[in-house]
Amino acid sequence: MENLIEMRHITKDFLQGEEVIHALKDTSFEAHQGEFIAIIGPSGSGKSTFLTILGGLQKPTTGEVLIADGPFSRLNGKQRTKIRFEKIGFILQTANLLPFLTVKEQFLLYNRANRTSPNETRIKELFERLGIAKLAKNFPSSLSGGERQRVAIAKALYHDPVVILADEPTAALDTQKAFEVIKLLASETKAEGKATIMVTHDERLIEFCDKAFALVDGAMTQIK
Amino acid sequence: MFLAWKEIRHGKGKFALIVAMIALIGYLAFFLTSLAYGLASSYTNGIDGWGASAFLMTEDANDNSALSLIPSATYDEIALSSGAKAKLGLFPSVIKSAAVSSTQSNVYVFGVEDASFLLSSVVSSGTLGPSEAIGDFSLQKDGYALGDAFTLVGSTMTFTLTGFTSNATFQTAPIVYLNLASFDTAYGLPSGASSLVIVHGTVSSLPSGLKSYSHQAFVNSLPGYGAQVATFSLMIGFLVGIASFVLGVFMYVLTMQKVAYFGVMKVQGLSNAFIAFSVVEQSLLLTVFGVAIGLGLTLLSGLFLAGKMPFAVNTLFFVGIAVAFLIFSVLGALFSVRAVLKIDPLQAIS
Repeated sequence: MENLIEMRHITKDFLQGEEVIHALKDTSFEAHQGEFIAIIGPSGSGKSTFLTILGGLQKPTTGEVLIADGPFSRLNGKQRTKIRFEKIGFILQTANLLPFLTVKEQFLLYNRANRTSPNETRIKELFERLGIAKLAKNFPSSLSGGERQRVAIAKALYHDPVVILADEPTAALDTQKAFEVIKLLASETKAEGKATIMVTHDERLIEFCDKAFALVDGAMTQIK
Repeated sequence: MFLAWKEIRHGKGKFALIVAMIALIGYLAFFLTSLAYGLASSYTNGIDGWGASAFLMTEDANDNSALSLIPSATYDEIALSSGAKAKLGLFPSVIKSAAVSSTQSNVYVFGVEDASFLLSSVVSSGTLGPSEAIGDFSLQKDGYALGDAFTLVGSTMTFTLTGFTSNATFQTAPIVYLNLASFDTAYGLPSGASSLVIVHGTVSSLPSGLKSYSHQAFVNSLPGYGAQVATFSLMIGFLVGIASFVLGVFMYVLTMQKVAYFGVMKVQGLSNAFIAFSVVEQSLLLTVFGVAIGLGLTLLSGLFLAGKMPFAVNTLFFVGIAVAFLIFSVLGALFSVRAVLKIDPLQAIS
């Protein structure tokens, strides 16, 4: 099976004062089509470092990240921004949506940025599958937390990326809403044939994932 | 235009206030400029239309045109290689009329020869017979009407108004035009004498005792004119400079408030160029709206003030002020763009 995204012997060191922090220790990881993978760890475990290196927001100290078997982490900032724009869909904790754009306009922003015309069929299809069609004209401030995350999932999928990276997508939700959103994310991962990597501290979400890794002090072990 | 406009539309109240602020700053700058320019023009608009190439005055007058006296014989000695020359009698005066309720009006009396080019630029109607006069329309404010008779203070002669000029003032006073022969009689000057000689062309031989001034040199010799223009220029220059700077800082602060959104946009892979462009676009949009409203208010005020205050629009000044505002608001926005580009997208992630 093709590796949609792959980490090869990644390490990441920070200098904090005079002390070297090993935020990630020799980590290798790969995600395939249709896989929903959870990275579980308490705060300070290196989760965010893992996700930002995977998303090309910062460079690893050693090792390499490949996306769709092509180079990623070794490219320069501008090239990585372009790949992030085209091949990665992000779902963040809360502030994912711009407050002054309606739900529909959040999607059009992508087309404005790369000067393409909106794919109305795709928008309609995603809106129906994620149950947000009736929210199209609402501003984010009038949505519930669960609705916001469903919009965020649809938005992350809209441009047909290779990989979805989710950063604590359930942080602002109660248990029932959190499970609903995660189930939706899992089914979309299968339906769209993406690889979704979710970073979370909530171990209850593991049951919805295909694989899970625990990250402790920068070292990753597979737990599912 | 997408992001910039959508955000303005979403925050209508906030952005209306911002535009109102820019409009008021613009109004202040435009309005004061118009008043200062109006005042400066009221010194000279009675002579600006002549397109004179030289003003001749006696050296003895020491730059004071009212003290200059050029006899007819000297006038005849002035030789031109091209163009035309004309005599001009010029005196500050006071007129009064039994027909008019306001007792006295300060004026400048210009004695001109019939059919000279001095009149054609300002006078469209009226005749200048021996006891006839044409006055500036601002005399109507004092109650003068066509056919009214008035006397010059210090003279026994009576004149009848046969016409009005529009905007013919000199040293801020309305000009009253008389026939030069009547002017000489009224002030007891030798027949054919004048205060100045105005040249429309090139002087080839200047009689001794006469001094030639360019239009600008003559205007600068008017008492108070240079100091007044310098004072107002400095005041307005500072006003526009400071207002532009404030506007720039404002645009900077406005953008910096949105740093968090820019972080999210950067995580999603929106390019720096796209973000920077939206920021600059929004600043331009707000400034253009604000300046346009300020300009509208100024022109409207001008309509209301017509005739009551010296108010004159100078397109060049307006364009200069508008361009200064636009440049500074874009600079302010660009300054914040620099900060936006440095935002670490990591901040948007836990």
